[in-house]
Amino acid sequence: MKLEGTNTLAAPIETVWKMINDPDALRRCTPGLKELKEIEPDHYEATLNVGIAAVKGTYKGTLTISDKRAPSHYMLVLEGSGGTGFMKGVGLVDLEPQGEGTLLKWTGDMQIGGLIAGVGQRMLGGVGKMLIGQFFKCLEQHLGEDV
Amino acid sequence: MKPAAFEYHAPDTVEEALGLLEAHGDQAKVLAGGQSLVPLMNMRLARPAVIVDINRIHALDHLTPDGDALRVGALCRQRSAERSAIVAARCPLLHAALQLVGHVQIRNRGTVVGSLAHADPAAELTAVLAALGGTVTAVGPDGTRTIPADEFFVSYLTTSLDPRELLTEARFPTLPEDAGWSWMEIARRHGDFALAGVGVVLAVRRGRIAEARIGLTGVGPTPMRAVRTERALAGRAPADALWTEAADAVREEIDPEGDIHASAEYRRHVAGVLTRRALAEACARTAKAA
Repeated sequence: MKLEGTNTLAAPIETVWKMINDPDALRRCTPGLKELKEIEPDHYEATLNVGIAAVKGTYKGTLTISDKRAPSHYMLVLEGSGGTGFMKGVGLVDLEPQGEGTLLKWTGDMQIGGLIAGVGQRMLGGVGKMLIGQFFKCLEQHLGEDV
Repeated sequence: MKPAAFEYHAPDTVEEALGLLEAHGDQAKVLAGGQSLVPLMNMRLARPAVIVDINRIHALDHLTPDGDALRVGALCRQRSAERSAIVAARCPLLHAALQLVGHVQIRNRGTVVGSLAHADPAAELTAVLAALGGTVTAVGPDGTRTIPADEFFVSYLTTSLDPRELLTEARFPTLPEDAGWSWMEIARRHGDFALAGVGVVLAVRRGRIAEARIGLTGVGPTPMRAVRTERALAGRAPADALWTEAADAVREEIDPEGDIHASAEYRRHVAGVLTRRALAEACARTAKAA
């Protein structure tokens, strides 16, 4: 399942770059994140409780940031599994200055398997997009606060 | 296929049910027909700690005309509504859509209001409520409130209902006597959730469209009204060319997602085709009524 989108953030590219690398910002803005433990720089252990309405699952896994080209590009790999299924997602984030602000482009390729994929197929794409949208909206709200 | 352990309550009154919901908050789920909730629990995709079974609250088992609306209580089964002469006569769009909700066995247990509360993005009844501009009634710790359809449906399986609130009924506005209607949907197999569906109400007076309502399902996170298309139809003379124009307008207005069952492009295309056919059918029915 491939997803993509763009967000315009009202802050200079350096500020946005710092924020998307800041464990506190990731912790605060990742929907359903219960725990994010830094194992080593750019490598985290994560526990997420994600889903919609009463259909929620707990996933344990890792989050790795690599291919960094400050301040404009990185790759994010998320792998996790839980009682209702497993997921593996690779996301590419690209930043470019746009006037006073920053244009953030993301593309993601997600594989979701197990029970949740079999039953929830109809809604996975839409829900995935919605959660990623929440993530960036949250980043936007916290921009310039304490980065 | 057995649910995770849960605590079971079967209150006899709305007040008792509200007390339980207040005590347990989002740990509790209300059970009415259970045709969506129970499968989710059996697959352990949902693990509510507490079930509040409202089936003994007989006061909620009603289906009554009230002025220009039909009041459907939270325990009214989909099959009862489908077989009701009042629904067929006063709210034929609801009658038509009900016949395509799951299968008979599901409709025998499933409730009209339960389907609205579950808010599946491809459900029929949510789109009917949206098309007709209906409301739902919720009671909670702060009293009773009436929520219009467009404020009730928030996203996939998500409504603006508070976990401490109970939906007690839905109000479906009845159709003007001269209005035509049509429900059309495409599903891969009979009884499946629709890939796309549309409900239309059309009133033509003195050769002009006096009222057009178009509600769609399966083409977004919530049921939606094609408001811009409705506005574009108002005041125009009914014609086949106009229905084709409306089909294109609906395709512009929606932003469906694709999945393994149907791509976004296909859903967009089908929603247009269904809109065109539904408008033509609704228009033919207005002529008959006039």
